[in-house]
Amino acid sequence: MTRLWNRLKPFRTRILLLLAVIGPGIITANVDNDAGGITTYSVAGARYGYSLLWMLVLVTLALIIVQEMSARLGVVTGKGLAALIRERLGVRWTTIIIGILLIANLANTVSEFAGIAASMEIFGVSKYISVPIAAIAVWFLIVKGSYKSVERVFLVASVIYLAYVISGFMANPPWAAVLKETLTPTFKLESGYVALFITVIGTTIAPWMQFYQQSAIADKGISVSVLPYERLDVIIGCFFTDIVAAFIMIGCAATIYAHNLPIESAADAARALAPLAGPFATVLFALGLLNASVFSAAILPLSTAYAVCEAFGWESAVNRNLREAPIFFGIYTALIVLGALIILLPIKSLVDAMLASQTLNGVLLPIILIVMLRLINDKRLMGKYVNGRIFNIISWAMVIVLIFLTGVLVVTSTFPGLLS
Amino acid sequence: MAYLSELLGKPVADIDGNKIGTITDVIASPRADALHPQIAAIAVKRKGVDFLIPYADIAVLVAPAVPVSKRIADIIQYQVSESDLYLARDVLDKQIIDTNGMRVVRVNDLDLARVNNAFYIANLDIGSMGLLRRLGLASVASKVAVKLGRPLSSGVIAWHDTELLPGDQPMRLKVASDKITDLHPADLAEIISDLSRSESSKFLESLDIKTVADALEEVEPEYQASLVEGMTDEKVADVLEEMSPDAAADLLAELPEERSEDLLNLMQHEDARDVRELLTYAVDSAGGLMTTEYVAVRPDLTAAQVMEVLRETANEAETIFYVYVTEADERLVGVFSLQNLVLAKPDRRVNDFMHHRIVTVMLEDTQDEVAQVVAKYNLLAVPVVDEQHRMHGIVTADDALDKIIPTAWKKRIPKLYR
Repeated sequence: MTRLWNRLKPFRTRILLLLAVIGPGIITANVDNDAGGITTYSVAGARYGYSLLWMLVLVTLALIIVQEMSARLGVVTGKGLAALIRERLGVRWTTIIIGILLIANLANTVSEFAGIAASMEIFGVSKYISVPIAAIAVWFLIVKGSYKSVERVFLVASVIYLAYVISGFMANPPWAAVLKETLTPTFKLESGYVALFITVIGTTIAPWMQFYQQSAIADKGISVSVLPYERLDVIIGCFFTDIVAAFIMIGCAATIYAHNLPIESAADAARALAPLAGPFATVLFALGLLNASVFSAAILPLSTAYAVCEAFGWESAVNRNLREAPIFFGIYTALIVLGALIILLPIKSLVDAMLASQTLNGVLLPIILIVMLRLINDKRLMGKYVNGRIFNIISWAMVIVLIFLTGVLVVTSTFPGLLS
Repeated sequence: MAYLSELLGKPVADIDGNKIGTITDVIASPRADALHPQIAAIAVKRKGVDFLIPYADIAVLVAPAVPVSKRIADIIQYQVSESDLYLARDVLDKQIIDTNGMRVVRVNDLDLARVNNAFYIANLDIGSMGLLRRLGLASVASKVAVKLGRPLSSGVIAWHDTELLPGDQPMRLKVASDKITDLHPADLAEIISDLSRSESSKFLESLDIKTVADALEEVEPEYQASLVEGMTDEKVADVLEEMSPDAAADLLAELPEERSEDLLNLMQHEDARDVRELLTYAVDSAGGLMTTEYVAVRPDLTAAQVMEVLRETANEAETIFYVYVTEADERLVGVFSLQNLVLAKPDRRVNDFMHHRIVTVMLEDTQDEVAQVVAKYNLLAVPVVDEQHRMHGIVTADDALDKIIPTAWKKRIPKLYR
């Protein structure tokens, strides 16, 4: 018995190490499935059935490549991405990049509050009640709560994403067909399809993720000796988030697409599920959307405030409390207040503009990816942890494809009707 | 006066007017006879590689196009020594420690001052003006600021009040300077709290064992544990020996059981024994709060003999303001203060001038109860005893009140992970 125990010891130690390291990758990946993401996946499933599933496999691979580099940068340098950009590229580039990030993240925060409003309306709660309450709750959670408990809340909240897996099963899809479509790439040269294709990529690989994950890793102080475990954290997170995404697509494809119903949003999708898969499916879908939106409405402003302070050296102003860290809490509060206000103001065009500004993510992503590749290949910074040759070729190829696709997205969303 | 950011990117031409390249960096050498490093050379990008022009060959450093007083072919490149700083690479945009303000700040620009034909690093600009100047917005911003009646702070600190972070330093400076080791441990703890965890581990590595121990005592045990995670067991054991036993026990309680056992085995036998005893008590009980480093004497000693004992043995004690009186079986029978001792005639016996009524707490009393006793009787420390009234240690007032008045930096902003 003792011998068996001793033989299990290295294994046990490894599990313990993994549990100590795990977190940044999984939380980042989960925030990735935010209100915007869920909307995109639902619409993709509802309009094009299972025919976009195959690309999720490739997107997962690309996501893992990007997030692994971000993790490696964080572990080896012990600094956040914003800090590294400032140290390598100087003030001007930093100001431009952080400026775009700030606006893009405000836009994303708006879409999170839109998600909160939409999901609560399914339960019959007016947005004038749900949005202010959510905004205040999120603000208090971070400003007054201890982060340790907040992290636990988030890790538990990650489990709620399984609601989508369950609602996917409840839709009772033809599994053989699903598997076949997942393994056979198809493509339609049709403007709506192309736009959705690119949006799926854009919403899955978003710039704030690299900033957030790297700061989280640097802050957690994960050392180089446990880099393999951090990689595992990233890979598990990426798989989890894309499996959830796949189930959202499958659920909507099996029901809404099969009955040819038109939907525009995740909330539409949730409502459409009731007659097709039962009212419980609607509740699960709405609950998932609410959870994802609240989760991301807390993390996005937080990570933005961190990136700004890190880049401009206001970390130390960020000392103890609200009064002594005015810039940090100012940015955090402003993002939440603006995000909630824009949803509550009855100005339709403003909301549309903010929701459409996923485009900003698209503009920022190529810059971030190129900067990351430059940083990770810097011998002085990374030592022996620079990219290998083959990894470099793969990642550059991927970056070029992503730049091309996001370029197309930016052009088509700026000039709609170009493809039709 | 010149700013580093304004020098970078300037074209450099030789005496015949041929362009050599543009300035990519400025190299400064620390000097034994001056507080501020002196500019020794400039790095110029020429055909893709850095060409180092010694300061002596530069005709005018601050000029729209920097002229060199020789032909390209005649320039003998500057030899970089180990202690040289590349200002753009090592200092500009990096984090530094402001040893005056006890905080970590980012360098927005460097002020170079001219003294007797040589340039020195005078100040580091950490204010918003430095940022705006580099964005080309300085004049606009200061006009707006004046209109608003709130002039922008220039935010400048002198070079000699700063210290580079260990990770960003040239090899020679891996050991922290006196500027850092002379800081109060509580201030060191503030600086550590400004850094990310891996930066703070590097920072701690540059300090000697004693300083690390002092600084760690000012830090929350939970955070201590993550700070020592990356250190070798031998170094942690040395640090633990330097810490007071109660702080060492708190730190060990936060570590995984296997590692804390390994560390205890590496520690000196006596230190380890004290710590082991403390580890058996609950963290927030009197037993967990107490330290075993107190002074106890026998009742039959004279005042003069006690003074002798204090001189010889009390340098390790947490406080000598109270001296406890115990019998051979460690039963606590009395206490007297330093004041009582000094005022007593040298030949008087302890038994005659000690207080017989003693305020004590029990080993398993809670922190709240201990704090109330300390506050009620205005004590600096309170002895901890068991049922047989045997003395085990003392809880000092600051440890007892810690829960009610938390150490300043418990109340930090939320870190992303902590």
